[in-house]
Amino acid sequence: MATRRILDIPLNRAEGDLEVRLEVDDGVVVDAWSSGTMFRGFERLLVGRGALDGLVVTPRICGICSTTHLMTAAKALDAVAGVEVPDNAIRLRNLALMVEHVQSDVRQSVLMFMVDFANPAYWDHPLFAEAGRRYAPLAGSSALDVVRETKRIIEIIAAIGGQWPHSSFMVPGGVTYAPQAAELLQCRHILEVYRDWYERRVLGCSIERWRQVDSLAALDRWLEEAPAHRDGEVGFLLRFGRHSGLDRLGRGTGNFLSYGSLDLPRQTTARGRDGRLVPAGFVLDGKAEDFDPAWIGEHVASSWSANYEGGRHPFEGETVPYASGDEGRKYSWAKAARYRGAPAETGPLAERVIGGDPLFADLIDKQGPNLLARQLARLTRPTTLLPTMAVWLAELIASGGGDFYVDPGPLENGTGAGLIQATRGALGHWVTIKGGKIERYQIITPSVWNGSPRDSGGVRGPWEEALVGTPVGDPDNPVAVGHVIRSFDPCLVCTVHSVHRGRTVGRARLEC
Amino acid sequence: MGAVRIICVGNRHHSGDDLGARVHDLLAATTLPTGVELIDGGLKGLDLLRFVEGGGRAVFVDAIDGFGADGLPMVLDGGRVAALAGGAWGHGAGLPWLFNLAPKVCDGPLAEMLVVGAQPPADGGTVAAVAARALAEAVRP
Repeated sequence: MATRRILDIPLNRAEGDLEVRLEVDDGVVVDAWSSGTMFRGFERLLVGRGALDGLVVTPRICGICSTTHLMTAAKALDAVAGVEVPDNAIRLRNLALMVEHVQSDVRQSVLMFMVDFANPAYWDHPLFAEAGRRYAPLAGSSALDVVRETKRIIEIIAAIGGQWPHSSFMVPGGVTYAPQAAELLQCRHILEVYRDWYERRVLGCSIERWRQVDSLAALDRWLEEAPAHRDGEVGFLLRFGRHSGLDRLGRGTGNFLSYGSLDLPRQTTARGRDGRLVPAGFVLDGKAEDFDPAWIGEHVASSWSANYEGGRHPFEGETVPYASGDEGRKYSWAKAARYRGAPAETGPLAERVIGGDPLFADLIDKQGPNLLARQLARLTRPTTLLPTMAVWLAELIASGGGDFYVDPGPLENGTGAGLIQATRGALGHWVTIKGGKIERYQIITPSVWNGSPRDSGGVRGPWEEALVGTPVGDPDNPVAVGHVIRSFDPCLVCTVHSVHRGRTVGRARLEC
Repeated sequence: MGAVRIICVGNRHHSGDDLGARVHDLLAATTLPTGVELIDGGLKGLDLLRFVEGGGRAVFVDAIDGFGADGLPMVLDGGRVAALAGGAWGHGAGLPWLFNLAPKVCDGPLAEMLVVGAQPPADGGTVAAVAARALAEAVRP
């Protein structure tokens, strides 16, 4: 006889408010509904404000991705002004964004994802005791090490931005501050220290050695090559994850999206594709195609938003909360972002697939998309960023400063979009300015892509789809469900974090 | 003696979590005592650890839920806040995680850490009272 039960699991490690409802049959998830439980409304808050206000308001959307939103807002206004940002401003903006990436990638992996390896559900796993020593909250050796070693790298943002937290140094036309040589040299030192730690403790090898790992077979050889490889966080992720079968879970849609990110300066030795370090693209059913922002749309059939048919491009979209009617069909404050009408996963794995990384191409080919590959892509993304950060810092130092701002002129009327890859994936701001005021502002965050509800056609969002097939051995402790969700590094919205008695946790409601 | 800092945290776009931001804005419009730094800590969480390194005193200002009567400023010492930490890191972890981890991961002498706040939601009078209490805690010998 079918039974229903409601239980709590700590989805609090999803940043913000997330509730996932699962339908479980014979111990396996057969359907899933992802619900963002808080209305954001930042877009509405911005309407009628000054043209530049997005630079101040949107970085406060998220405590982790504040630089990311600043960058995206600035790029949207660059587009409105039609201004060409000088090379050193591009370098400084990129460096700040990359700091946010390389810090978050390691913190999320160890503190939010791998902490579940110490879950009692793994009591009989041969690596369980070691997982506890490494990842136990507030005490695990790796957990403390990661917090200790990642706290200083944000000083690079402070040096570049002249202030931290809440730097607002990116403006249309460039940046407001040109760091002095001494500050840039200090940044270089901080970066070198971070890279040294990342190589020793996270990779267990040099970045150069890691980048030789170009296939599943090469990954296996690398893992067996040296004790340091096995003992690093990457090695432990692989050893624990493979033994637990995590490379067979969390497939998702198989579609991948990247807006592209980190514009290349016109004069640089760094190499990318189509003018960006992180290429743009879309992969549908395994076939890659060029990215065209005109194909972005948002559906609201399952969202607590005022109804419209099909999907709307964000330049035409509206954020009108509508929480009544259609009970049972509407179940999330998040809209359903779609590309050419299809759901798409975005984030580090999408970047590696679209960028043609041979290791991840081989992993996808041989194993299919899976949550272990998704997390591996995140934990190793700094290998793709740290070397270029050093290049751009060296170029800044060699340039002697200057060349960091071009007057964009008055921002009276126009439209513009800022599209980048945030830490969690594709992030876009679309702004319309009229009479010097914001007439329309739309934001699509990475988690609106990954955590979207069903669209007008009833098609599941990426992590809804990824949850299907996930085993739920113990309904009171569905650890694999947490793995799947956290492999996307979900971020719904930053919300209350006051000091309070007890703990607030998200809920996974299982209908069995 | 290291730096004396008033670090206001919270989400200024969330009415239940904006006490720190409102106190920050109030104090920013005043002339602070010599040697007192004011920081808009926002939602920065663990990234505020650098502000408690080097000794001195760090007075955090935040909404405090469940400890006292509405409208009255409250002070929680660092040990009491740290003891509230539990579970894995997440957004809901908030200041307890920061306070618990600080002695384990910070370099050099640690600032004396405490939280000044009030039960949300806070009216203008409460914001002013919390700001005054935070200043008093910052400058006390």
